[in-house]
Amino acid sequence: MRAAVVLTTVVIAALLLQTTLLPLTSIGRATPDLLLIICVYLGLHQHTVAGAMGAFVLGYLQDAFSGSVVGLNAFGMSLVFTLVYLTSQRLWVDNAISKVVVVFLASVLKTGAILVLIAVFLSAGNLWQTVVQYLLIEAALAAVLSPAVFALLTLTQRVAVAEEE
Amino acid sequence: MLEFVRRNRVGLTSGLLLLISLLLFSAGSRTARRIDPLGGVVLDGMRPLQSITAAVIDAVSGAWQTYVALVGVHQENERLRRRIVELEQEAVRLSEVEQTDKRLEALLNLRSGFDGDLQSAQIIGRDPLPWFSTVIINKGEADGVHKNAAVLSPLGVVGQIMTAGAHSARVLLITDHNSGVDAVVQRSRARGIVEGALDGGCVMKYLKRGEDVEVGDRIVTSGLDGIFPKGIMVGEVTRVMRGNRGLLQVAEVKPAVRLDRIEEVLVARGSVQLKDVLP
Repeated sequence: MRAAVVLTTVVIAALLLQTTLLPLTSIGRATPDLLLIICVYLGLHQHTVAGAMGAFVLGYLQDAFSGSVVGLNAFGMSLVFTLVYLTSQRLWVDNAISKVVVVFLASVLKTGAILVLIAVFLSAGNLWQTVVQYLLIEAALAAVLSPAVFALLTLTQRVAVAEEE
Repeated sequence: MLEFVRRNRVGLTSGLLLLISLLLFSAGSRTARRIDPLGGVVLDGMRPLQSITAAVIDAVSGAWQTYVALVGVHQENERLRRRIVELEQEAVRLSEVEQTDKRLEALLNLRSGFDGDLQSAQIIGRDPLPWFSTVIINKGEADGVHKNAAVLSPLGVVGQIMTAGAHSARVLLITDHNSGVDAVVQRSRARGIVEGALDGGCVMKYLKRGEDVEVGDRIVTSGLDGIFPKGIMVGEVTRVMRGNRGLLQVAEVKPAVRLDRIEEVLVARGSVQLKDVLP
C-alpha cells in the first residue's frame, strides 16, 4: 500500500514537471516524456494487473492535460506497457544500458502508435512531419533521463517496502 | 479457463485496456465534443499543485533572468567602456595624423617655393633651461646639415644650426639672446639686427633714429648675413622705443613663428633663395 502511495506521489511530481518546467526547457518542440519512463518501469518491474492499470492511468493523465483526443496517449502507454512486459519475460533487460535502450525504443514505439492512430482516425494534415522531426530527439531525451528516474523509483519503492515490513 | 485467465491476467488486462483506450479514442474522434469523463476532476485536483509549481518556477526563472541580464548588462557596459576608450584614442590619433598632414603639406609647399636644397627635420628635444632658446632636430651632418645653416618653417625664420652631430643638430632659435638676424622693415626697408630677448620675443636693434618704423610693420630677412635667404618673414613690430637722445631706435618684434609649438622645420643645405621674393 505504501509503495503504491509513493509511486503515486512520484507520478504526480512527474506530471507537474511535465506540465510546468519541462516545456520551458524543451529543445525545439521536443520534451522528455517522464510518464513514459515510469510506464516502462512498470512494464519492467510491476508485472501485475495494477501495473497494467497504472500504465493506462498514466496515458489517461496525459490525455487529460493535453489537447489530444482522449484515449490517444492511454492507448500508447498501454501498448508500451504490454510490449515491455512481454519483452522482459523473454529477454534479460535488467542492466542499466538495456533499460536505456528499452526507454528509447518505447518512446519511438509510443510516438509511432500515436501517429498511426491519428493517420487512421483523424485528418491531421502534416502533423506527422512535425512529430517525426522531433521523434528521435524526444526518444534520446527520455533515454538520457531514464537512469535517474529509474534510480528514484527503485529507491522510493525499496524505502516504502522496507518501512512496510 | 480460470487457470488461463489467472496465469495471463496481466496480459489480458493490458489487452482489455488497449481496447478501452481504442474505443475512447474512436468515440472521441467521431465527435467534435471532447469525451473526457474524468478529465475535469483530474485538472481540478492538480490545479493547486500546478499553481504552486508554476509560481516557484516563475520566481526562480525571473531571478535567474534578472541576474543573467544584469551580468550581461555589466559585461556589455565594460565592453562599451573599453570600446569608447579605444575610439577616443583612435580619434586623438586621427586628429594628430590630420594635424601632421597639414603641417607637412605646408612644409612641402614651403620647400617648393625655394630654389636650392632643403632638408626636412623633426624637432625631437627642447632646451631644458629657461634662459636659452634652443631645440634639437633629428638630422645631422650625415643628412647634409651643417653649422650655421638656416632653419626655416612655412611661417618664417626659425633659427640657425648651432652645432651638428652625425645624426642630430642643435638649433639656435631667433628668440635666444645669442641669436642675430640681419633684417629689414618690409615697408620702409630700414635695416637692423633682430636679436632674441629674454622674455621669449625679439628686438630689432641698430635702427637709425630717423628710419620709418611703425607698430605693425613686417620684418623680413635682408639676405645680407649670408645665412638666411632674402625676404623670409621674421616677425611683426609690436612696439617702437625711441629715447630722448641717441642716434638709434629699438623695435620689439613678435616672431612670426610660434617657436614653442613647431614640430617640423626645413634646414638649408647650401645656398637657397626664394623663388618669389617677398616685396
